[in-house]
Amino acid sequence: MTPDPAPRLAHSGTAAATDDATVTSSAVTGGEPGSVATNRAATAAQARGSRQPHAILPLRLRSALVLALVSLVGLAAYTWPFFLTPGAALDNSHGSDAPWFFVALLPLLVAVVVAEISAGGIDAKAVALLGMLAAVGAALRALGPGAAGLEPSFIVIVLGGRVFGRGFGFVLGSLTIFAGALVTGGVGPWMPFQMFAAGWVGLFAGMLPRCHGRVELAMLAGYGAVAGLVYGGLLNLWFWPFGAYSPEVSYIPHAGLGVNLHHYAVFWATTSLGWDIPRGLLTGLAVLVAGRPVMAALRRAARRANFG
Amino acid sequence: MIEFVDVSVTYDGAAAPVLAGVDLQVPEGELCLVVGPTGSGKSTLLRCVNGLVPHFTGGRLTGTVTVAGRSTRDHHPRDLADVVGFVGQEPLAGFVTEGVEEELAYAMESLGVSPPVMRRRVEETLDLLGLTELRGRPLATLSGGQAQRVAIGSVLTAQPRVLVLDEPTSALDPQAAEEVLATLQRLVHDLALTVVLAEHRLERVVQYADRLVVLPGDGAPVRVGPPTELMAASPVAPPVVELGRLVGWSPLPLSVRDARRAARGLRRRLADNPEAATAAGPAATVAATGPVEEPLAQVRHVVVRYGAVPALRGASLDVRPGDVVALMGRNGAGKSTLLKALVGLVEPASGDVRVGDLRPARSKPSTVVKVVGLVPQEPTDILYADSVGAECAAADREAAAEPGSCLALVRRVAGDVPLDRHPRDLSEGQRLALALAVVLTAAPRLMLLDEPTRGLDYGAKRRLVTTLRGLADAGHAVVLASHDVELVAEVATRVVVLADGDVVADGPTAQVVTASPMFAPQVAKILAPGPWLTVTQVAAALPAETPTMRRFSRRVAAEVTFRRGGDPTAEDAP
Amino acid sequence: MMRLSSDSTRQVRSLRPAHSITLARTLHPGAWWVWAIGLAAGASRLTNPIGCLLLLAVAGFVVSARRSRAPWAYAFGGFLKLALLIIVIRIVLQALLSTESQGVHTIVVLPQIPLPSGAAGLKLGGVVTWEAVITAFDQGLQLATIICCIGAANALASAQRLLRCLPGALYEVGVAGVVAMTFAPQLVADAVRVRSALRLRGYDGRSVAAVRRSAMPVLEGALARSVDLAAAMDSRGYGRTTVDRRATRMATAGLVIGGVVGICAGTYGLLGSAGSGWMGLPTLGLGCALAVVGLVVGGRRTGRSRYRPDPWALPEWLVAGSGVAAAVILFLLAHAHPGAAVPPYPLQMPEVPPLLLVGALVGVLPAFLAPPPPDRVVDKGRPR
Repeated sequence: MTPDPAPRLAHSGTAAATDDATVTSSAVTGGEPGSVATNRAATAAQARGSRQPHAILPLRLRSALVLALVSLVGLAAYTWPFFLTPGAALDNSHGSDAPWFFVALLPLLVAVVVAEISAGGIDAKAVALLGMLAAVGAALRALGPGAAGLEPSFIVIVLGGRVFGRGFGFVLGSLTIFAGALVTGGVGPWMPFQMFAAGWVGLFAGMLPRCHGRVELAMLAGYGAVAGLVYGGLLNLWFWPFGAYSPEVSYIPHAGLGVNLHHYAVFWATTSLGWDIPRGLLTGLAVLVAGRPVMAALRRAARRANFG
Repeated sequence: MIEFVDVSVTYDGAAAPVLAGVDLQVPEGELCLVVGPTGSGKSTLLRCVNGLVPHFTGGRLTGTVTVAGRSTRDHHPRDLADVVGFVGQEPLAGFVTEGVEEELAYAMESLGVSPPVMRRRVEETLDLLGLTELRGRPLATLSGGQAQRVAIGSVLTAQPRVLVLDEPTSALDPQAAEEVLATLQRLVHDLALTVVLAEHRLERVVQYADRLVVLPGDGAPVRVGPPTELMAASPVAPPVVELGRLVGWSPLPLSVRDARRAARGLRRRLADNPEAATAAGPAATVAATGPVEEPLAQVRHVVVRYGAVPALRGASLDVRPGDVVALMGRNGAGKSTLLKALVGLVEPASGDVRVGDLRPARSKPSTVVKVVGLVPQEPTDILYADSVGAECAAADREAAAEPGSCLALVRRVAGDVPLDRHPRDLSEGQRLALALAVVLTAAPRLMLLDEPTRGLDYGAKRRLVTTLRGLADAGHAVVLASHDVELVAEVATRVVVLADGDVVADGPTAQVVTASPMFAPQVAKILAPGPWLTVTQVAAALPAETPTMRRFSRRVAAEVTFRRGGDPTAEDAP
Repeated sequence: MMRLSSDSTRQVRSLRPAHSITLARTLHPGAWWVWAIGLAAGASRLTNPIGCLLLLAVAGFVVSARRSRAPWAYAFGGFLKLALLIIVIRIVLQALLSTESQGVHTIVVLPQIPLPSGAAGLKLGGVVTWEAVITAFDQGLQLATIICCIGAANALASAQRLLRCLPGALYEVGVAGVVAMTFAPQLVADAVRVRSALRLRGYDGRSVAAVRRSAMPVLEGALARSVDLAAAMDSRGYGRTTVDRRATRMATAGLVIGGVVGICAGTYGLLGSAGSGWMGLPTLGLGCALAVVGLVVGGRRTGRSRYRPDPWALPEWLVAGSGVAAAVILFLLAHAHPGAAVPPYPLQMPEVPPLLLVGALVGVLPAFLAPPPPDRVVDKGRPR
């Protein structure tokens, strides 16, 4: 049982032994060199004020690359009906195989991204915070009428991503959906798609430009509204190709990008837009109302937990 | 086993160190008790043992802490997991898995212990802590005492040589606390485990301690030594020690048994002066007000059900102005439910609850709060703002009271509380004071408190007693549910014992409390069959003949006039 | 340490009791998922409504025979409702949006709502035909069957045990998932408690402001708990056996990036024109394999051991095998009867090929071959 090598310290970002004045002073009193783990990061964070996000799972170049590539495939998982070339391998007579192909592929992709972001280990504080916020989100999903289009857990995902950074936002988004599905016994083929979309919601929330005060709140509210709307639009896409509702709103293989886009737009407008718009507006409104105290609470927690 | 050499801890952003120059040695197999008022650095000291301070909390530690030869300087808490087991205050908050067995195995999994060894150790630990019946249970369904024992088991499976516990019984009722303490006793005696624990309720543990660490707070030096010596001058002491100090017994008794053997002479002396008991006791206020007034609240044959489970089966109760009624009884007896029925949080299935001329469950909340107020078990449930100042301002607005009236109440109860502090960062005592003040701002005549003494130190408890007596003297009525017999003896005029949803005893405190050893305070056990319940009563009955006693009477007087300010600072863990 | 633990796991696995199909124990959740996915895959090849109904009955029967008393075991009912909803929505949408081109047998003529010219070709209301409705029902039923098969896995497999089977590279996130699942119900209870406490401050508890007020204490409580939890985890050795070797990290990175590139290229190939054959499945398979190996190698960094891991013994093989076999049979069936173009109207009894019955019978085997869940057996044994 040897103690961990030093690099773990640097990763956890909480405690780095330093050789500063206190060492010398205790050395003078004759004790062993005894200064342990000072942490100026927290005070520095306080001095920085609330503007600087407390990035917990920072995206390194490698994880960013993996995330970008995987997101590309993820995007294809939603939007393939617009791009499927006639005669392609996925373009068979059934027409409904491609969605199942992606249902099978996406969990692997999510696993790869999350493993990559957490490579090198996540320290206990980050795991606990991640778990708790995902629990809050999952509880909100269980309480709120998630199926009817409302997605109250978006507040947690958006604000969590904003405060704790991109990598954390992505993992939080996917984990919230995952835990929510497990808690309510709602694991289904839609789950990988939801996990990806919610992960993006958290990711982009962490990538928004830096600003503060009312501007920040307005920006987040606007982002929440857009995210709520786009989330609905994307999620319809996974089951859209299954339907043969009527030729004018259905996915028609080989019909080309323009036709299918138009069909989908009509489909969206006539079916779920009535849910998606209120969802977007409510998410935006909720962020506007609860954003300030929630972000203050998250930042206070980050300070107390001494993340840097 | 544990060695502190000149240890000082300063948290980031704090002006003064929490601990300064602590030197401490705890040999193997000792039970070491850390005592001191809130904010004196008990939690910090405990967290230094396994390196949580400073690796986890941040801040700066100078000096060295060595446990079983490993210095916390270059060992993180996780590297000390097989040497030090750390159990926090809230067992439920520290559980990682969902079942008892998995929780017991968790530490071993993290350490990479091989499966056959894990299996064996889990079985051993189940037997050792008496958890065999609970092995398959989900953790969320455990009672407080069971959860605390599982928490202890979950660190024991890593086979540490030191066990550190931060207030393991402060959230527990007496029976559960007994279970946990008996378990600890066994671990010390049978396994020669070194145990370090902090505890507010000294009356429960001080007689078991081999060594005492007294943190006086306010920057005074830390004292370490045998309990009988140190208790003589400790800033916090259980009633038995207070009594011993008052009478000047030497050696100072720490348990009821020792004190009772020493008290033969005292009992004879006190027998001459029985009326002093009533003069200085809480019942004095009743005599002054008289029982003629109309009841402020009436509960008649109330039945309350949660689903199909009845919580109250026809309980009845009258509360008059000037009454301080203590509801006692085991967990699940219906104490909280009775309080909730009085404030209208639950609606009775049958029977009648009236406060003044209101039926609380049927009335608008905004009118109810002007008549009856409840401080719930978790005071933070009714605190919504992000600073003390904002909370007070909101309370003033809601009650349409003069701006500043809530803050004035807070200051009266808890002394100076920093206005910009978040309510959750306050100490337990300050948080309770804030919740109490918020409820009192609406000036209800009936005040209800659910388990107000959880986590309070003796100072905070004394302030609470003074506040509640002040309320009763001003014509309010107070009903509190509590397991804390010492508090009840100090403050209650009447005790109502509930069992299985019904009232089984109702009468003046002295009568009810001395009738059963379960509810008797330490002084009553020592001086039985006399009517004495508290040290204050005994002090009033004895002529001030020794310097110690003069000092004590002065201190009692000072506390009654409320000289002491608020708690020094918040509980130290950030 | 690793070697030791895996050796002894093997020993445990070879114990006889694990192979018994009558000794009560919790089945490995993976086995239930394989079985359910097998059934769902089979259902995706069924065009026969009778076959769909058969599979629904199979899933329902197995759930009722082998579910435990845990809260998630009641998830199947929810999935049934969802399935019903899917069918209803399908039919309603079809009825409202369909055009006459789908059939000639009219049920009813709804008033047609004129739409702006932007919705070119779309109509709302108008003629509703039998053909449209029956086709919608058949398709809805198929999707509903797939969903219910997955629902059966939800009801049968313990979610927490499933999380324990996550690969080592996802260990930390898995822990966060367990934490989330454990605390979410507690948070709901907290929220209820705090909300009722609003009355104590004179609020009604129904307004938006009240919801916001009660949300903050719950969130603050959760955040405070997360600090306590982290301290508890840290002092119990969490992350102690994590080793971070540069070589392993580089190898993992190479594998993962290679794998993801492969998956990208493979997907592109599958969606693109048929000409680029090597870009399709082979590349995709290679990419997936690399990514999986990357996950395994990345998981090496945790030197944890596992307490009583769920064994994968004979019953697991039987349950998983029954799912796979059912899928194979139904795929064969689809191959043998490639969806004869039966006109949906007038309604007629679809023929039931014997292969379909065989598939359903194979699928229902776990109701007898899986060991009963322990909590149901205990209850039977003890008179209450």
